[in-house]
Amino acid sequence: MIKLIATRLLLAIPQMFIVAMLVFLLVYLVPGSAAAVALGDAAADADEVARLEQQLGLDRPMLEQMMTWFGNALHGDLGTSLIYGRDVTGMVLDRLPATLSLVGAGLLVAMVIGVGLGVLAGTHARRPVDRGVTAFSSIMQAVPEFWLGLILILVFVIQLGWAPVVAWVPPAVDPAKWAQGLILPALALGVGASALIARQTRTAVASALSSKYADTLTAAGVPRHRIIWVYSLKNSMIPVLAASALAVSILFGTSLVMERVFAFPGIGTLLLSSVISKDFPVVQGAALIVCALVILVNLVADISYGIINPKARPQ
Amino acid sequence: MNKPTPPKTEAFRALAPPKERSEASRVVRRITRQPFAIIAFAWLAVIVLWAVFADVLAPYDPLQNNFTPDEVLQGPSAEHWLGTDENGRDVLSRIIFGARVALAVGFGSVLVAMLIGVPIGLLLGFRGGWSDRIGTRFVDIFDALPGMLVAFAVIAILGRGLPSLMLAIGLIFCMNFARMSRAITLSERSKLYIDAARVSGIRESAILFRQILPNLAGPLVIQAAILTGSAIIIESALSFLGIGLESAVPSWGGLLGVAAAKQAIQPFLAFPPGLVIIFTVLAFNMVGDAVNDALAGDQHKRIKPVRRSRRAGAAVASVVPATDPSPDAVVNPLPIWPEPVTDRDVEGEPDADRREPVRALPPLGVAPDRSSGDILEVRGLDVELRPASGPHVPLVRDVNLTIGRGEIVGLLGESGSGKSMLARSILGLLPPGIGVASGRILLNGEDIAGRGEKDLRAIRGTEIAAVFQDPMAALSPVHTVGKQLMEPLRVHLGLSKKQARVRAAELLDRVGVRDAANRLNDYPFQFSGGMAQRVAIAIALAAGPKLVIADEATSALDVTTQAQVLDLLLDLRDEFGMAILLITHDLGVVAEACDRVAVMYAGEIVEVAEVDRMFDGPRHPYTAALLAANPTTEAQVDRLPTIPGRVPLAGSWPTGCHFAGRCAFATDACSEGSVAFVDDVRCVRADELSKELVVR
Repeated sequence: MIKLIATRLLLAIPQMFIVAMLVFLLVYLVPGSAAAVALGDAAADADEVARLEQQLGLDRPMLEQMMTWFGNALHGDLGTSLIYGRDVTGMVLDRLPATLSLVGAGLLVAMVIGVGLGVLAGTHARRPVDRGVTAFSSIMQAVPEFWLGLILILVFVIQLGWAPVVAWVPPAVDPAKWAQGLILPALALGVGASALIARQTRTAVASALSSKYADTLTAAGVPRHRIIWVYSLKNSMIPVLAASALAVSILFGTSLVMERVFAFPGIGTLLLSSVISKDFPVVQGAALIVCALVILVNLVADISYGIINPKARPQ
Repeated sequence: MNKPTPPKTEAFRALAPPKERSEASRVVRRITRQPFAIIAFAWLAVIVLWAVFADVLAPYDPLQNNFTPDEVLQGPSAEHWLGTDENGRDVLSRIIFGARVALAVGFGSVLVAMLIGVPIGLLLGFRGGWSDRIGTRFVDIFDALPGMLVAFAVIAILGRGLPSLMLAIGLIFCMNFARMSRAITLSERSKLYIDAARVSGIRESAILFRQILPNLAGPLVIQAAILTGSAIIIESALSFLGIGLESAVPSWGGLLGVAAAKQAIQPFLAFPPGLVIIFTVLAFNMVGDAVNDALAGDQHKRIKPVRRSRRAGAAVASVVPATDPSPDAVVNPLPIWPEPVTDRDVEGEPDADRREPVRALPPLGVAPDRSSGDILEVRGLDVELRPASGPHVPLVRDVNLTIGRGEIVGLLGESGSGKSMLARSILGLLPPGIGVASGRILLNGEDIAGRGEKDLRAIRGTEIAAVFQDPMAALSPVHTVGKQLMEPLRVHLGLSKKQARVRAAELLDRVGVRDAANRLNDYPFQFSGGMAQRVAIAIALAAGPKLVIADEATSALDVTTQAQVLDLLLDLRDEFGMAILLITHDLGVVAEACDRVAVMYAGEIVEVAEVDRMFDGPRHPYTAALLAANPTTEAQVDRLPTIPGRVPLAGSWPTGCHFAGRCAFATDACSEGSVAFVDDVRCVRADELSKELVVR
């Protein structure tokens, strides 16, 4: 098991490096001078631009700047915001709980609905239930998540008044309200991703159920529910987990938009305002941390394949 | 060397898959036959019309503001069918103009994605080797990034505007195209005709373009259609956030941004743009699916029956020794003939008391249960395939078979003869869409045909159990063999985990797995095929069944292992006294192990006989042909005899005798009506032929 974790970690390091590289290059890809762009058209003061270039390190050779940037990043220093003058790491970490809550709750919704519908469809393959689930997942694929969020707010907040207008309550303040506030955003976020998981689960469960080991166990008198929930499900786990890992990446992306819909003070709203105000260090820092989280999730998924499938463990 | 160069273009035109115009028109015709696809196309046509003729179609100028209070944020009315926005602008007009942005960004970004992704994929797939491995890794890394984040980054770098939107979304999808074109290039590259083209001296780039691109075209169109839909969603999200196009430019996402801000005042505003987005994306997905089905439908519909007939054709070969020379009988000097048992019953009135196990070994443990009566009696069983549309297809017809307690009955037949369907109907394990049409399956005198899961569950494992062909597939790969073996022990015997474990180790030891207690923790892949089959046997025997159905249980194993597993089954029968229905296509197995044998052909049992009697004097011409085709009946073989012709497929069985078409003795009478199973044989000429069929 340690060997498995070690090999996967070794694969994740170059991955992280490449992503960090792309993030670092971001300011160099800006057409013209990033500093001038950041300051906007109005403030074309040459001194000011030069000062900002110095702050961004754009005045130094790229290689030297790269070493500094990577060195700082490894120590957790992701630079200073051009607008607020605060350290980027602190700003992003402040926003992390809202984003993580949203993505986590969204994943929970996606997996519960996705696995549930997938098992239902897989155990009723080619029957009306199965066709219903397939239709649901193709429709959900076409529904923009943020629109679903708008409609949920419209129905449950504005019309029915069942949910509070302010969705985000930090868990430290009131755990119950935190969970309550997450329901609508998580639903809006997770239902779309659940379609993806449902499709994978359906295929995996259907093929596991028509497998020969299912026959062997059935012929030995093992009840069908045990074959479905114990044997088929564990065999279906790997495609389902792969779909879920993919779903996490999608959820992180979609949450950036969903935060705006539900006014969540997360990384998404931070990123959005930084993109608009050209606060490059914040864009870089936030992007780097989101990518790191996605890579981490993929790493966990990779390791769990090895736990589920004994063959995937390095021998 | 100056070899005559073959005419190049002809060379690969002949080898390349046919690309005819008729194929394209067939695809188009198939698409137009799907009602959903027509609706989807119609909707997309409307959207395209909106985009192109927006100036004419839109009732108002989409940019014309009107700040009078009763013109702002209005609901639907006669003047403004879909109401007005926060600036008093006509929503319908803005939606019609919004189609321009949606389609421009949708098509544009997919085009960008293709232009970046396809060359990368072609290159990786064509180069292969190290560059492919490293490149693919990069593709994976890039693809794992959240798409929206990539879009944010690009917009941060380039600012807002149509080109940066196209690039932002194009970059999200490009790896998708890269991965797809790489996979197709790889598979095309390995195909024969590419090699042929290369040999005939055509430049690599020419191969790329003329061979791979046509094959790529179909999947590319499908992918492009679906991704255009996704691009429209992302565009609307970015416009919604206010980082798409300038807010004055009418876009569906921008309208939703207004709707979000003014939700409390005008809730209706969220619906028109939202529904238009959903319908459009749905339409693109449906078009993609329809093209996919149309391209695949061609292969599906034609390949499936071909595969089946090929299998049926190969079935002859599997009995005919050309491919399967019944090796254990030839190579291994095993005792082939069972001891003749003279006083055994002829099929019909069963009196199992007098049946003796073939082997005169003293029973080790429990004495064989030979209380009177047959363990299994199948009467007039018909099994049929019930397709969703079309007539039912009979798979098994009028099967009569009895198995006495402790008896080993062989079920001999080529693959496709229906013997596995018969076995599965006894176990109640018929695949969906296949069912028992009529007849009875009496287990201990009680009819179990068509019983529900609950009843069957109580019988399975305790009364009937089964061992299947491929032991590796017959065990769950991700569970330890111990867990799987303990399952029936806990379900049926109600043992605790600890007790079950002890008993499982005993069982595993009994079936000949060494170091049984420790091996319980191993996974199936850590076992050899023969050992895995022993585990499967242990699972079947765990709850002490009275009848074990061994469906080709030794066929997938190598010769020596085959003999060992067969010996184990025989030993276990002597020890536990269960009856065995031994399904096989191997005459050697029948000869070695069985008391009686039933021969199956094209869904019917054609003959039932005691084993020695069958070998001495087959009564059905098919049995005789099988024996003649098997080299084990002759000491020296000059030429392998075969049965001419093919097994008729289910659904195309002839009226009358199913074998008549291949039978050397067939007369007109054979085809007149269905042949009854009389006196253990299904042949109208059985009596006349009794002398002619004696095998040498």
